[in-house]
Amino acid sequence: MKDLVQLELIRESLIAVVNEMRANIIHSSYAPIIYEGHDFSCALMSADGRQVAQGLADHPIHIFAVPYSTQQVVATFKDDINEGDLFLHNDPYTGGTHLNDVLMLHPVFFDGKLSMFAAMRCHWNDVGGMTPGSLSGRVNEIIQEGIRIEPTKICDRGVLNEPFMNLLFNNMRARSERLGDFNAMVGTGRKAEEHLQRLFKRFGDGLLGGIEELIARSERQLRAKIAERPDGDYFAEGYIESDGTNPDPLVVKLKLTVKGEEIIADFTGTSAQTNGPTNCGPAMALNAVGTIVKSFLDAKTPINQGSFNPITVISEEGTFINARNDAPCGGMAECKFLIDSVVASAMGKVAPEMTVGDLKGGANHVIISGSDPRGSNYIHYEWPAGGTGASAGTDGSNAVRSYNEGDFNSIQSVEMVEAQFPLRIERCEIRQSACGDGEFRGGFGLRRDVRILGDRGALSVLSEKNVIPPYGVEGGANGAANSFTVIRDGKVTAPSAVPGKVSGFALRTGDIVREETAGGGGYGDPLKRDPQKVMGDVVEGYLSAGEALRRYGVVIDGGAIDEDATRLKRAVLLESRVSAAVELSNEELTDGPRRQFLVPNGLAASLNVSEGDLVELVTGRGSPLRAWTRLRDGGDGENIVISASSMDILGVAPGDVVQVRAAQPHPEIVA
Amino acid sequence: MSDQKFIVGIDVGGTFTDLLCLNTETQELLSEKVPSIPGSQWKGVLGALEQLGIDYGEIRAFVHGTTIATNALLERKGAKTGLVTTDGFRDTLEIGRTRRLIGGLFDIKFVKPKALVSRDLRVEIGERVAADGEVLQSVDDVDFAPVVEKFRDSGVEAIAVAFMNSYRNSENEDKALAKLQALAGDVPVCASTGVVPEKGEFERFSTCVLNAYLTPVVTTYLETLAAELEGQGISAPVSVMGSNGGVMTLDQAAKFAAGTFLSGPVGGAGGAVRICEMAGVDDCITFDMGGTSTDVALIHQLTPRISHSNQIDAYPLQVPQLDIHTIGAGGGSIAWVQPDGTLEVGPQSAGAMPGPACYQRGGTEPTISDANLMLGRLPTDRTLSGGLQLSKALSEKAFADLGEKLGDGAGSAVQLADGVLRIAVSKMAGAVREVSVHRGFDPRDFALLGFGGAGPMHVFLVAEELSIPQVIVPRFPGHLSALGQLLADLRHDFVVAWGGPLDEIDIEDLRGKAGAMRDDATARLIADGFGEDRHEHTFTLDMRYVGQSFTLSIPCDPLSTSWDELREAFHNRHEQTFGRADRHSEVELVNVRLFSLGLIDKPALNFAPTETGASVIETRQVWFGDDWTDCPIMDRTRMGAGESFQGPMIIEEAGGTSVVPPGWTVNVHASGSLDCRRRYDD
Repeated sequence: MKDLVQLELIRESLIAVVNEMRANIIHSSYAPIIYEGHDFSCALMSADGRQVAQGLADHPIHIFAVPYSTQQVVATFKDDINEGDLFLHNDPYTGGTHLNDVLMLHPVFFDGKLSMFAAMRCHWNDVGGMTPGSLSGRVNEIIQEGIRIEPTKICDRGVLNEPFMNLLFNNMRARSERLGDFNAMVGTGRKAEEHLQRLFKRFGDGLLGGIEELIARSERQLRAKIAERPDGDYFAEGYIESDGTNPDPLVVKLKLTVKGEEIIADFTGTSAQTNGPTNCGPAMALNAVGTIVKSFLDAKTPINQGSFNPITVISEEGTFINARNDAPCGGMAECKFLIDSVVASAMGKVAPEMTVGDLKGGANHVIISGSDPRGSNYIHYEWPAGGTGASAGTDGSNAVRSYNEGDFNSIQSVEMVEAQFPLRIERCEIRQSACGDGEFRGGFGLRRDVRILGDRGALSVLSEKNVIPPYGVEGGANGAANSFTVIRDGKVTAPSAVPGKVSGFALRTGDIVREETAGGGGYGDPLKRDPQKVMGDVVEGYLSAGEALRRYGVVIDGGAIDEDATRLKRAVLLESRVSAAVELSNEELTDGPRRQFLVPNGLAASLNVSEGDLVELVTGRGSPLRAWTRLRDGGDGENIVISASSMDILGVAPGDVVQVRAAQPHPEIVA
Repeated sequence: MSDQKFIVGIDVGGTFTDLLCLNTETQELLSEKVPSIPGSQWKGVLGALEQLGIDYGEIRAFVHGTTIATNALLERKGAKTGLVTTDGFRDTLEIGRTRRLIGGLFDIKFVKPKALVSRDLRVEIGERVAADGEVLQSVDDVDFAPVVEKFRDSGVEAIAVAFMNSYRNSENEDKALAKLQALAGDVPVCASTGVVPEKGEFERFSTCVLNAYLTPVVTTYLETLAAELEGQGISAPVSVMGSNGGVMTLDQAAKFAAGTFLSGPVGGAGGAVRICEMAGVDDCITFDMGGTSTDVALIHQLTPRISHSNQIDAYPLQVPQLDIHTIGAGGGSIAWVQPDGTLEVGPQSAGAMPGPACYQRGGTEPTISDANLMLGRLPTDRTLSGGLQLSKALSEKAFADLGEKLGDGAGSAVQLADGVLRIAVSKMAGAVREVSVHRGFDPRDFALLGFGGAGPMHVFLVAEELSIPQVIVPRFPGHLSALGQLLADLRHDFVVAWGGPLDEIDIEDLRGKAGAMRDDATARLIADGFGEDRHEHTFTLDMRYVGQSFTLSIPCDPLSTSWDELREAFHNRHEQTFGRADRHSEVELVNVRLFSLGLIDKPALNFAPTETGASVIETRQVWFGDDWTDCPIMDRTRMGAGESFQGPMIIEEAGGTSVVPPGWTVNVHASGSLDCRRRYDD
């Protein structure tokens, strides 16, 4: 009993250290992206680079990659790690995320022996490169995204390498802000060390022993949870809709195998790396599988290295999820979220009771830069949240971070932004109508209008799911896609030919940047949604009465539900759905990375889709399978022809009847 | 005046209403405890006063701690509230600022709590103030009549007005407030800058809405109470405990209902400080366990922690309050079987009525008190103080029923009672960890102070769970909250958002602002009946480096300080707090804060035991660990100062029973408190 108490005290104490580190960064940093947006994370690592503790708010995308980076530092510097050293790292190819996320490692020695690292990864608002803020949707090589730092000792036994730091800061915009944030990280490392020394004094060697026991416990726990699930292979896939330069999408293919107490995620067949920003280093795939497996099977156990040990990831070097130099990696969050989404699709088959509507896309990076009336330059970076996916018994939530994200802001405070930048935020509200419909509906995204008050400015956007919307599950509909536009002289303008990928679009005084974020995917059949809940959404103005009628078949008359009319309307809507039997193709049906279905003309006409449009097959179980329409030669027949791999993913056999529908970026918006 | 010798403190808990009355001439303390009456807390107050049997005309002051605001929010029984806000921002309350605020990482089923104002009652109007305070669009032409009409049709009971950038210039908000007040009749209206004039729209809007939401409930209650007291011939002023640990006048509380959120539990923290002072203890964690809930707070160097940005559930509440953590586990908490077949305790409570099964008032479900009875910790063969006779048979029946629901493996009724107690103790230990470990303190460096009706019975078990080596049980443990109320000073908090980089602002301006704040505070304290010799003013400045967002609070005396002195104090504080000072960066002033106390006479308290020669009332079989042990039952009033005893033992007194497990040494301190120690093998 006493050992258990001590173990719990150690665990809670370590988490308390991480939480204090978080508070420290928030309270002493200089860039709003950190103190307002909380785009940073902290963790404690073991001397050999295994993860020991993270807080409840730290972002998996930052943290699960830290072991990779730390192990690189340990491998590079071996015995030459001393008290008073500090290390910096942001190289995606060796465990970094994107160049903006700069990791500082502060080694901690107990009785003269290297025992732990305090790790802080903060998003620096600018790390040099082509456009202010360093992130942009239209880059061709990583050089354009800023400075790449391989594991580097920046402080040797307490002596800072000033020439090196000057070189760094001289190649970044807004130098004083960079310096301030750097200093905040330095101070945070010192405070973390102070706390850890106090813990060591209290627990002695029991501290490191306790840490090993905690890691072993987390691993045992996850292994037990995996063992409860049926062995088997589960297939899923998903797309990056564009790398920003090329019209073709990139595909992630997954075979997820449950075998006893272990999970093997094999990404063979995934697209090659590209010249655009949508690549990521090797740390992201394990990161994504770890995040989603934990969410589905073991959400409550504290996270540490043990949570990753039962998981094996197979990804080929040179694919866009395991990129080599010099692929740009600015869009690593877009890639990581896509892998999350694909793994969630597969895990929905492993643990059907946890099946959940899709995520909003990637990070939705929006960078507005320019000069203020006094002539100095500014960079404002925000990353608006969207709606979250619905699951059994639970509607998604509105404009909030999803289960796979840390406790970031939904969006930065209007008053903070306006006080600091020549911007006026004219509205920041729930994006009505934009949920994925379902028996349980997805959450609504948000809509934000930002007016440019300065003389000139530039807009960069790096986002996903502007064209391919978040999927619904168990028959639920997709959520609305993301949309980023500019309103100039009252007219909506597209700032880029490729939706969601914008690079330095020139803004004028008075322009409005409009951000509209995706709604979460729905769960279950919308026609089975409790009419009272539909009416509740109408009363609160999330949906119009017209949408309630057309999308849910709920007839509201004089402020009350007309039950008879609702029953009739629902029967009519059900009848109007399009279904078809699936027929096996003898060959794989693809057009480059795009999966295809052969759709007969009559079916295409009733779906109102043409050659090349995106459709989805819905079985009512888990997520739908999407593919691009290829009209059937001759155009006759009633069956939809799909390949064997499509049958595997869907879990259907030839002759099975499935629902067919168009995957629309936007739900019907009522005038 | 001379015949007004009584000061009365009344603490209304979820289960019992405790009253403590100090005779300022004799320093004698009288106490009463009656069941609380849910829905009509004031009836319990009157009942307790009646029991006391003193001449109401002799009451000089009356201090009240109430859980009315807390209950209203936790049960979502506050007023139906309407919000009037800037065009484009009706969803600010809903979108919030930070993500989930209440966990949710890896939780697929996370549901964001709903905003307190439903979306159809958030009304946007055409107005706008820029970030520099310029009025871009005035409210002069806005017609508020349709807004008020809509609210009236929807049954709105309170209105909040919260505009973007009003912290910078509240002109539009003030005008809208006046217009709405003129139109709204009896419906209370409050404006965001009137509640918290600070930057950050989500926190300010949320605090304003919470204030509006709680105002009708709090006002109605206090008005009823005041009228009833007056009806009884009590002319003494009634004051209310505020969340900041000071007392508020009724008038203040009506305007600032959100400031009474912790009115109930803060009394305990105040009383604890005094007990610690008397017992020579600097650092303690309070463990205040009543019938319904347990409140814990950390007191470091005789000062309870205060926090300026708080959060109730997922709702930010940006007012200064003591850092108190509450969980729904008390003596009356009910043990029940979850859908998955596992055992759970609370948060439902049997309250005072019907109360635990053993109270013989119709309760049938097993509670923590029933578990204690089953384990021999409460007497069954004689009445408790207060005349309550407990029935062991009814407790046994309740646990037998519970065992049946659990099915195989439930074990004997006694084992089940022991399990229920362990679950409750582990929850309560979690609350102690929350205020200590999670705030960077090690609980073993603190004494655990057990009070409240059920505190002394559980405090030792919680201490053992956390390896805490020292437990203090004060005299009159059931009335410590009420004691804290008797000792509390009147307190006003002020904040002015003013400042700039120190090299750009004039220290004389700071002196001017501070002087005006002090004048304002002085006038208010005089109006509250405090002469200037009883005023105490403390200024602090919220400061940061230019470019930072968050501030550190630096104490100062505006009259004598200099910018250089403040810069130095800030650098030092920054280094100490964050591990580093940026001595080349300029320092910036953001807010000037003042808290002003109206000091009351601190009565001398004398709790020293007068009798010695402890008598064992009886010896009983009590369950400790996993077996029955012969355990002496002692009378606390006969345990003399300086005497020392070895556990196990049970110590009975009016208002509380201390259950001391084996391994503890109980020392009776000269101040009357029991100072208990045990060692843990490392």
